[in-house]
Amino acid sequence: MPYLIVHEDKCVGCHTCEMVCSLSHEGVINLNLSRIHVVGYKGEKFPIMCLQCEDAPCELICPMEAIYKEGDIRYVDGEKCIRCKMCSLVCPIGGVIYDAINHKMLRCDLCGGDPQCAKYCPMDAIEVVEEVPERRKKGVRVLYGEED
Amino acid sequence: MSGYTGKILFVDLTQEKIVERDTVKYMEFLGGRGIATKIIYEFGSDTLVFMTGPLTGFISSGSRMDVVSFQNMLVGSNVGGEFPTFLKFAGYDGIVIIGRSEKPAILQIDNDGISLESGESLWGKDAFETIDLLTHGQRDIKVAAIGRGGEKGIKTAGIMFSHRNLASRGGLGAIMGSKNLKAVIIHTTNGLEPYNPPELMKVITDIQRSITKSGEFMRFKDWHVNFVPTILKLKMPYFGDYGRTWKDAEEAAMNAREFFEKHTSKRASCFSCPLRCWAIVNYEGEYPINLCQGTFPAIAFTLKVKDPELAWKIYLKMQREGLDIMSTSAVIAYASRLGKVKLGSKEILDFIDKIVNREGEGDIFADGIKNAEEHFGVPAVYVKGGMESWSSDIRPFVGSALISEVADSGGVNRALYGFPEFYYYIKKEQAEKMAEIFVGEKNAAYPWDYSDAKVKFAVMWENMHIIADSLGVCVIALLTTPLELWSRAYYAITGNRITPSDLIHYAEKIRTLERVVNIEYGGVKDEISPRLFKGVDGLDREKLERMKKKYYELRGWNEKGIPMNETLERYDLR
Repeated sequence: MPYLIVHEDKCVGCHTCEMVCSLSHEGVINLNLSRIHVVGYKGEKFPIMCLQCEDAPCELICPMEAIYKEGDIRYVDGEKCIRCKMCSLVCPIGGVIYDAINHKMLRCDLCGGDPQCAKYCPMDAIEVVEEVPERRKKGVRVLYGEED
Repeated sequence: MSGYTGKILFVDLTQEKIVERDTVKYMEFLGGRGIATKIIYEFGSDTLVFMTGPLTGFISSGSRMDVVSFQNMLVGSNVGGEFPTFLKFAGYDGIVIIGRSEKPAILQIDNDGISLESGESLWGKDAFETIDLLTHGQRDIKVAAIGRGGEKGIKTAGIMFSHRNLASRGGLGAIMGSKNLKAVIIHTTNGLEPYNPPELMKVITDIQRSITKSGEFMRFKDWHVNFVPTILKLKMPYFGDYGRTWKDAEEAAMNAREFFEKHTSKRASCFSCPLRCWAIVNYEGEYPINLCQGTFPAIAFTLKVKDPELAWKIYLKMQREGLDIMSTSAVIAYASRLGKVKLGSKEILDFIDKIVNREGEGDIFADGIKNAEEHFGVPAVYVKGGMESWSSDIRPFVGSALISEVADSGGVNRALYGFPEFYYYIKKEQAEKMAEIFVGEKNAAYPWDYSDAKVKFAVMWENMHIIADSLGVCVIALLTTPLELWSRAYYAITGNRITPSDLIHYAEKIRTLERVVNIEYGGVKDEISPRLFKGVDGLDREKLERMKKKYYELRGWNEKGIPMNETLERYDLR
């Protein structure tokens, strides 16, 4: 299954990924309905999105077991989900967001295998890879305090 | 109807009254520059209009907005960044400001409503500080603000929309300041709905492909390193008070090149644009600042600043004060001729303070170059309406000289970005090819050419600008991509069909309306300063006069530049 990795040095902060994400999923252009987010740090910008963690805290914390895996992609079962937003709270990178307009949790579903953000990024700052790179695995472990 | 939000906000600052009006009434003027001009025509000269286009917020490079007002003539500037998109996200196609607030005010637009708040605590703060205090770095908050330049009514002040985007030309900041409006703040979490999302995705693919295949896209990759030396090679800059040469020009260009190579961390874009025409410069600041490659050369060359560190400080100073770098540099260069300031030195920084604070003689320069000329009696260089020249010398480029005489709304920047005569000296064949495609005569690409073909070429180029400014698309992007694709985008977004020839018809109509507005309210003559015709480098007055007549003819105006009845009828403007 594909994974997304970000080359933050290439990002020019144009928000096209957010535009096409909300456009392809929701039929609208709304940065708050996008599953990928361009964030700024000291004047520079880059996107963040769900990293499809191995032992995902969102899945572990969900009291309703509403988060399930199909292939390697995690989805939210809207029927089971009670919108407690715990998944959003525990995600260390802000990969799950609450859509206040449609009252549901939003997370990257890799567009079912053909991520539009990567396709439309004019700078190739978002790359689709088949295997999670070891560097990122390490990054995630550092993030969770499992490694220095 | 999709594309347009359907509402324009009218804010009367005198009566503290805010009303919404339907956009549909103005849709025969397309959007952006077209609708803004129509509103000025309706409401008179004391009006400041921020107007997006139907494509704003929807498409690659479709994030522009036009800001138009009227001083002694129609003045307009357009701006990218993210404010225009967020204005539409908030549900408005535009904002129209009339009247004057008694005390400094802020217009606040958020999900819950619109209000006028006190801006007194921000009055006196520079543009960067104002924006920081209002946004707290939040990504959902966008601001349009004036710096101290706008507050004090400095004629060269613009309106800042971020730490980089400035609607600079035409003194729009001074107009906002005269209304006592310190800032407009938008906080929204809403979005936009196109008519046909899947079709829009397809069009975005095609437009993106077209833009990323263009020469502009290639050029901008390392433009932050090359721009200063390239502009010199193009023979565009003028030096000091409109000098043709400067012995240290090459050295200054190479210094700037080295400086930006060392301190640029990466490149940046406006909302939804792949062109990345900004560079993020990380130099002795708390955080990096975006560099505008269009205006920086005015500091290196017009102000003869060889030391790039000093040039960067001057650049930041002008941005902070919210001043148009091209015009302010022209004023300072003129002041240097009168012995008031030494170019290339730190004195420039103090002199900017003098202008912004209207201190001593700074008060005279604060009112623009024409005013200073009248006061001191020494001839200056200015274009139509007394506006300072843009950062390039217009004498070697006849097309730009023509537009400087006839353009009603901000000069060359509103008509001739990327006009082939400008790059003739480095890309002769490409310039000739463009001229042949557009007007069938390659001499129209020659900078020194006074022919009818050149006039025709300039008219067509100006039309492209009006289309871009009215659709809400960046003109740099529009010029890289065929009009057919923009028409397709318009359809996917609005559900209304439009053809490229319709777009040109709109452009001609809007240009004629601009002329009508100028005649109605101002009547400023189509003239540039006499100094531009003097000396060996001067323009040929007779030949330029002939070009002007030809321009009028092509626009359907009489020999005095007044639109003829049949022209008004053709565009339903009677």
